[in-house]
Amino acid sequence: MKNIFLFLFTLIIGNSFAQAPKGFTAMKDTTAFKSKMEAQSKLTTTMESDFTQEKYLSVMSENIISKGHFCFKKTNMLRWEYLTPYTYMIVINKDKMFIKDNGKVNKYDINSNKMFKSINEMMVATVQGNLLNSKDYKPKFYESDKFYLIELTPVQKATKDFLKNILLYINKNDYAVEKVKMTEPSDDYTSIDFSNRKTNQPIADEKFTVK
Amino acid sequence: MRNLLLSSFIAIFLTSCTLGHYGRLKKTDNDLPSSPASIFGDNFNSFLFKTNITVYGKDFSGLLVTKQMSPEDYRVIFTTELGMKLFDFEFKDTSFTLHYCVPQFNKPKLLKTIQEDIRILLMNDLKGKSFQKLADPKGSYTIYRKEEGSFSDYYFIETATKQLVKIEHSKKQLKKVIFALSNYQNNFPNNVMIKHYNIKLKIELNLLKK
Repeated sequence: MKNIFLFLFTLIIGNSFAQAPKGFTAMKDTTAFKSKMEAQSKLTTTMESDFTQEKYLSVMSENIISKGHFCFKKTNMLRWEYLTPYTYMIVINKDKMFIKDNGKVNKYDINSNKMFKSINEMMVATVQGNLLNSKDYKPKFYESDKFYLIELTPVQKATKDFLKNILLYINKNDYAVEKVKMTEPSDDYTSIDFSNRKTNQPIADEKFTVK
Repeated sequence: MRNLLLSSFIAIFLTSCTLGHYGRLKKTDNDLPSSPASIFGDNFNSFLFKTNITVYGKDFSGLLVTKQMSPEDYRVIFTTELGMKLFDFEFKDTSFTLHYCVPQFNKPKLLKTIQEDIRILLMNDLKGKSFQKLADPKGSYTIYRKEEGSFSDYYFIETATKQLVKIEHSKKQLKKVIFALSNYQNNFPNNVMIKHYNIKLKIELNLLKK
């Protein structure tokens, strides 16, 4: 009888506390981690990297894979460019956003559109890893021997409708974001892996203008 | 003078909207099958398109994926380049299920129009439908005509290549939508352009992978 109670108790407790993702345990010192992340972010003036984006749709047999390159420069300048299998570019320069598609350039005022504003915040925060300071997401902290893992769950209902959570995989050695995984309520997801990262190398301002 | 202007305007309007070839098409008995075949075949394949939708001057771009789930069941999903899902449609025989749609697209008229365009392009609900097989005077095309109520659909098969190059969706002999399929490679068009004549809507599909 005692065993049944113990079993039920474990079952209830086990379900009410979120399980750490496979291979990860709860982070021991979140304060130290946050201050290290912040310090690293302050030290970073420019960043560029290749990326591979993988889109998983449960009904499809194969993932959609696209590859590209991004450049970031403080403050708030970002060039996010897909190179294969299609060309498409988003450039954020302060409060302006440009989209180049099919040789056509569209220019937007970020502040004029709520959606663009949140795209901007999310993209810049993703490459810098400082989405964990956002009031719009509730963070959970995990770690493995190689990575810190931050699970961000949206707070706003409007975001919850299309986003279940964001996982940020951060390298324990240099505090760089190595992988981002955005999961939709349907469990379809988009994951982005970064490679060939360069930090604090000069990047010309021209990279953030579009003609 | 005013009447002349008005009648000229009406004449121009009518000629630009009317399908000029209706009267000149003759029944044919060539060796092509009795109904047109879908470009998506019957192999449960998936197709990936870079897609641009222009509606009343607003541009939406992204990736459109089609996947045949069972012989008459197709799933069609549209995502942004960044991976955000915009809509998720399922076409099964003559029924339709909306699995997901972002608020920006969730306008009944727009959604219904895009749904209808994709249904026509998929051609998955043509089994058991009757077609008239016609030919133009020059013999350049075999044209399949399907009539349902006040709507007619015309499927143009190029005689030389036996490829589906155009679909016209019309209402009471006025063209509503034209689907132009071009740049065929391995029996599949690399480009599909869907143009509406009664509303400002254009959908462009460029094949990335099949």
